[in-house]
This record gives sequence, C-alpha cells and structure tokens, in this order.
Amino acid sequence: MNKDTSRRVAVTGLGIITSIGDSVPAFREGLFSGKCGIEPISLFDTTGFSCHSAGQIKNIDPEGFFSPREIKRNSRCDLLGLIAADEALSDSGLDIAKYTKEKIGVVLGGGAGGMLSWEKYRRALWLKKTRPRPSLLLPTAPCTLTDFVASRYKLTGLRATICTACSSSATSIGYGFDLIRSGDQDIVVTGGSESLSELTFSGFHSLRLMDPEYCRPFDRHRRGLSLGEGAAILILEDYERAEDRNATIYAEVLGYATNSDAVHITSPDAEGMSRVMIQALKNANVNVDQVDYINAHGTATRINDQMETRAIKKVFNGECAGDLTISSTKSMVGHCLGAAGAIEGVATVLALHEQVVPPTIHLEVPDPDCDLDYVPDYSRKKEINFAMSNSFAFGGNNTSVVFARSKV
Amino acid sequence: MIEIAVTGIGVISPLGIGRGAFWEGCRKAKTGIKKITSFDTTSLRSNIAGWIDDFNPRQFMPPKSYRRMGRVSMMAVASSVEALQDSGLDLDNIDKEKVAVIMGTSYGNSSHIEDFYVSLLEDGPRGAHPFLFPETVPNAPASHIAMFHGITGPNNTFCQNELSAENAIMYARNLLSQNLVDVVLVGGADELSAMQYTCYDAVGALNKVRAEEGETIRPEPGSGLILGEGAGILVMERIDVARKRDAKIYGVLKSGVIRGGITDIGHYEIEGEQMARAVFLAIEDAGMDPGEIDQIDISANFTGELDKMEYNQLRQIFRGRNNNLEVTPLKYLMGDFGGAGIIRAAAILLSIYNKLPLPTVNIEALRSEAENFPVWNISPTGKTDTALMTSTTFGGGTSSLIFTKQ
Repeated sequence: MNKDTSRRVAVTGLGIITSIGDSVPAFREGLFSGKCGIEPISLFDTTGFSCHSAGQIKNIDPEGFFSPREIKRNSRCDLLGLIAADEALSDSGLDIAKYTKEKIGVVLGGGAGGMLSWEKYRRALWLKKTRPRPSLLLPTAPCTLTDFVASRYKLTGLRATICTACSSSATSIGYGFDLIRSGDQDIVVTGGSESLSELTFSGFHSLRLMDPEYCRPFDRHRRGLSLGEGAAILILEDYERAEDRNATIYAEVLGYATNSDAVHITSPDAEGMSRVMIQALKNANVNVDQVDYINAHGTATRINDQMETRAIKKVFNGECAGDLTISSTKSMVGHCLGAAGAIEGVATVLALHEQVVPPTIHLEVPDPDCDLDYVPDYSRKKEINFAMSNSFAFGGNNTSVVFARSKV
Repeated sequence: MIEIAVTGIGVISPLGIGRGAFWEGCRKAKTGIKKITSFDTTSLRSNIAGWIDDFNPRQFMPPKSYRRMGRVSMMAVASSVEALQDSGLDLDNIDKEKVAVIMGTSYGNSSHIEDFYVSLLEDGPRGAHPFLFPETVPNAPASHIAMFHGITGPNNTFCQNELSAENAIMYARNLLSQNLVDVVLVGGADELSAMQYTCYDAVGALNKVRAEEGETIRPEPGSGLILGEGAGILVMERIDVARKRDAKIYGVLKSGVIRGGITDIGHYEIEGEQMARAVFLAIEDAGMDPGEIDQIDISANFTGELDKMEYNQLRQIFRGRNNNLEVTPLKYLMGDFGGAGIIRAAAILLSIYNKLPLPTVNIEALRSEAENFPVWNISPTGKTDTALMTSTTFGGGTSSLIFTKQ
C-alpha cells in the first residue's frame, strides 16, 4: 500500500505563533531575515538558574480573540494553539460548513501542555498561602488543545494527541498524512503547541543542556539549547479536493517515518537518526540525491548537532551531502518541544513555497565535527523540490517528514 | 482494511498481575477498588481507587533494568515481557526495525512530574533532580520497552485521556495495514499518582467515598469517577503473517473507528451522538449488524454523564434485546485510566479464546437512579465469538472496536 492507488496529501493552510512572529506573514519575515526571538524570560522567575533566556512570546494579546471565560480556563499552551488553528483554518479558505465534519480529523502533538497552570496551583499549595483555583488544573492533560480545536470548529472526525516529547507534532503531520491517504479522513488539522513552563525549563537546566545565553546550532562553541514556545498548525487535505477548490497548495506531504534509537533515554544516536531519514525517504518514494533542503533538529546541544551531522552524512553518502542545504529554525525560535516539529514543518513548507532556504543564525565559528552547509546567517534563494524535516526526541523517538514543492 | 490478529497478551492490573490472574479475576468479577494507602489522602474528599499493591518488577526483569524507570514504565515493560513471551516470537530472529511499540497513557509517569517540581521548589534550580525529568515525558514507557527489547521500529505514544489506548490500537492497525511493520506491541499504561488524584479531587470529579482499609467498597453508579491504574500489552500481527508462523491467535480486530464528540472541557459527550455513530460505523465496517454482537464491553466508570449516555445510546442501538441487555463495565472493577482500553481489550480476547463469557451486569444498573448496586452475572456458558468495545472519554473523543474469533 502507501503507493499508486492511495491519495495524495496537500498542505493548504498554515497558522503559527512564535517569538519571531505571531502570524504566518510575520513568521515568514522573521524566518527569512534571520530574526532572533531568544530574549530574557519574564513568564517566571529564573533566579538561581544559569540561564535566563528563551524564545518567549512577548505579546500574546488574546483580548478580543477569546472570551473572558476561555482566557480564564485555558492554559497558555492552549491559547497559543487556538490562535494558530484559527489562522490556519481561515488561511486554508475552507468553508467548513460545506464539508462532512466527520471526515475532518484533529491530530495534534502535545508537550508539557498546561503544566504552567498546574505549576501555579502546585506552588500555591506548597507556599500554603491561599487556596489555589482548581480550574487551573483543568487543562493539565496534554490533549486539551485537540479537544478545544475540535469543539470550537465542530469537527467530529478522528481525534488523537501524540505525545513523544520533541517529535510529537512532526509525528502528528505524519499521522494526518496516513489518515488522508487511506481515505479515512479528507482533511486533518495537524500541528501542536507548547508554552514555556518551569518544569521543562528546570528539567533541561538540571540536565545541563541549556546555553546560558542563546543557542548556536552547529557552532564550535555551542553550549546547549534555548527553550522556546509557540504553536503551529498545518491543514492537510486530500490533494485532488484541494485542486478542485483552487486552494493554495503550499506543499505536498510525501511521507514520513518514526522509529526508536532503543539506546538511551536522553542521549541521541546517529544510527537511529540515519535510519529514520532513510525510512522516511523510502516511504515517500524519494531518492537521497533529490533532497535539496533539510530542516534539521539542530538543537545546539553538543551531542545532537554532532550526531545529526554524522547521520546526514551517512544517509547522503558524503557526495550529495555537498549540495544539501541544512538549517536549524531553533536558532531563531528556540526549542519549542511539543510544537517544534510543527513550527519546523511550517518553516520547511515556506521554504518550498518561496524557494528560499532559511538560515541558521548565531553560527559564527564552524565546528570541524559539523562540516555541512548549514546556511549561516542569511537565507539563500535556491531551487527546492524536495525537503525533509527532522525531529528527534527524548526516549530516542525520531521522526522525519518529507515534503515536496507543489507543482505550479 | 485487513484483519489484525492478537497473538500475545500481558496484563498488570488491579484484578490480577499477569494474564492468568487477571482472567481469573475477571471471571470472578473481583474488585480491585480499595482504599488508597500508597499516598496520603487525609486532606482529600475521596480515598479509593483501583490500584495495584503487589506489583514487583523483579518478577519480570533484573533490578538493573528498572533502576531508572518510573512506575508506569516498569509496569509497561513488565507487561511487554509477558506479552512477547506469550506470543512465541523470538525477537532475535526477526527484523527489529519491523517491530513497532505504540502506547497510550493519560499522563505517563506523573508522580515524577510532581517529585521533580517539588524538588525544584524545595531545593532550588540547582537541587532539581536530573534523573527524574526524562521520565516525565509520556513517551518514556514506550521508549523503555524499545530499549529493553532492542526494538528499533516505529515508536509512538498517544495521550487522549480515557481514549489513549484505543488511539494506540488504531495507529497500530494503521501501521500494519500499510505493511510498514510486521509486529506491533500495542499497549496502555498509567499509574495512580498523588499528582493526578489530587487534581481530580480538587476539580470535584471523583467519587466522594472515603473508605477504611480492608472495607469492601460498593460505589453507586453515577456517584462519580473512580480512578485506576495498570498496564497491558497486546502483540498484534497481520492475520496472514500470524497464521503462517502458526501462532496462537486470541482473536481478531475486525474493525475500529474513532470519532470526536463536541463537548466542554472536563465533560463527556452529553447526548452521545458521535459515540452512537462510531458504534454504527464499526459494526458496519465489520460487515455485521447489532444482532450479531455477542458481548458488549463498555467504558462506564461511575460518572453520571458517561454512564447515562452509554445507557441511553446502547438501549437504542440494541433495542431488540429489550430488558435482557447485558454489558461489561470493567472499569466498575478496576477503575479508570488512559491505558484501560488495552486491559479491556485483553479481557475480551481472553474471553473469545477461552470461550468463556465476560462477567456482565444488566444495563439497567448503569442508570444513576438505579437503587441497587451493580450485580455481576457470571455465566458458565454463553456466546463469545464477537464483541463490541465502546469507549468514550471526557473531552469528547469516542471509539468503537469490534473483536471476533479468528
């Protein structure tokens, strides 16, 4: 299966909010101009940490967009996700009322979800000051955004939330692709959302994986990742249907793969990374020499960037690796964990749509162990027909998604 | 869609540890719901749950292997050991890249989230314990299964409240029907944690029963949610592959549907329109009609909303059965959790394979106005060839699966 007879999958709507842009046009501008969104954190107190910065979204201004009840009851993560979902659905031009709602699914990737709200509650209990508001606990489950998006737009199709840490929302794009190809669904809302939280911030801090200033992927002096927050939604749609309604087709999803390193819970492994890329290309029916651009996982931890480079070289046999352009969106927005795969999915789709490779910023001193073309500082015009987005997570959960330029 | 065979079962549950003890517990309609003594509940309105007090990971793996695992990971790996052994598969002789691990869990190792955060509050940023954090990701149990057995194929984890395991089953079917893998270890696992329990208690979702230790608890339907914990793994293969290797086949997943009901946060689909739709589609996809369903396994969990909705819809769907509509609300015995769907599926498959019916209650017992506590009917004989498993979660998701004998 998975070839010949099954349906093709188009990306027909995008929505995004990150520290470098709170809409697709603003993000596009930030992405291609190499804007840095990593700045001092104001969301919570970072006293005592060795790092004080992250890709925090400064102006979420949900007033007017949400009802007061929604603002009170939703977590920051869910608010971000709803903003992105609304943009993506309106961008797609779909008149949802016209469609069979049970053929529209919602498959999102989750991260720490409403942890920030739970932390407020837990901290208040610990301080034994006031009795905290129990509704802070309602959005604790990682799947509340999925339910919110479905309920808000009355979508009754398949509903699933994937939680594989940093690869969650990349896999959500993959599952959405499967569901459309098999005919189970006609349209799937995919992507994910993540807000900064003390849990993840102190977690990565405790593992000594954070750069005290800002992350510098593939740089010789990189010292770790920067966290970020944001949400991105991609509307996937049966290609034929999208063509029939003259929708803007940003790109085509060709396939994906997930796998497990089965080696270590936190330490990445080049072998697992290369296998997932090979399998994704195989599932997508794309040859290695056809790939023009890779949106790397590129976290800027010492080991990830080294392993990912090694894995890419292994897949692309040294030779074609010379023509490959690779970049890390995390250099601008930080590592957005559960939303990272979706944000980088949007970046990859925009690269294909605009035929521009986004840069890796803060790459000043090349690392001899990372000797590929990471497109430092400035974006680059290039013919991009096939692109791949990598996401590698804690637990050794790897996902690669392959996209193609839509044929104009 | 192709038929999926289940060729191995592993269960760690409040009804019994290991599939043998679990099945015995099922057949006796034994309750696993009891007073919680694993954490302090004195300040809470409730103190009961379906929980496991005699799980020893050492029975399944050497201590070195579980040194860094949270409770959910330990239970998940333990049930994977049992399920793989049961399946007769020799992992050393198959391509481990063609084996997938797909899990469903509500929150993963949530006690680690609490422990880690409290260590941050008490000891400051430099005191937060680094070993606790990696176990807080919900995919930790699936990753531990992969690491323990060296399984390098697709690995995925679903968190959809009480529909998590059902989501995992549907994704497993998706992988198998595309021929992307040969074998899937599909599972569900959750723990009863102070973190989750106090959250549910605070929002007023729980059954407000306070019991004494050793007291037999007989909650009334509609009186509020009772949480549970446990883990289960099913080994799934395409039926042709399973037959070719002469595997023991417990039963077959014939069809499956997931739909989303529209509702408010923290609530179940009130009318059950999508629940009924999923049941209809699953029965239709299996090429059957409601009259051909021998056993009905439902997700009722003592909440007024869900139990009443299932009552209303099932009375309508199976109206031909008049007052003889027997159903199996297994959560009445083991409590509710995100991975419960796997254990319910395991009960169905053991029933089909052993040709012994699941324990049932008359559906009238689900009505919150029912005055009597559910009376379990344990039948020595009965039709067991086909079963419907319907599941609905708060938040709106709903699924129906049809299992049959091979």
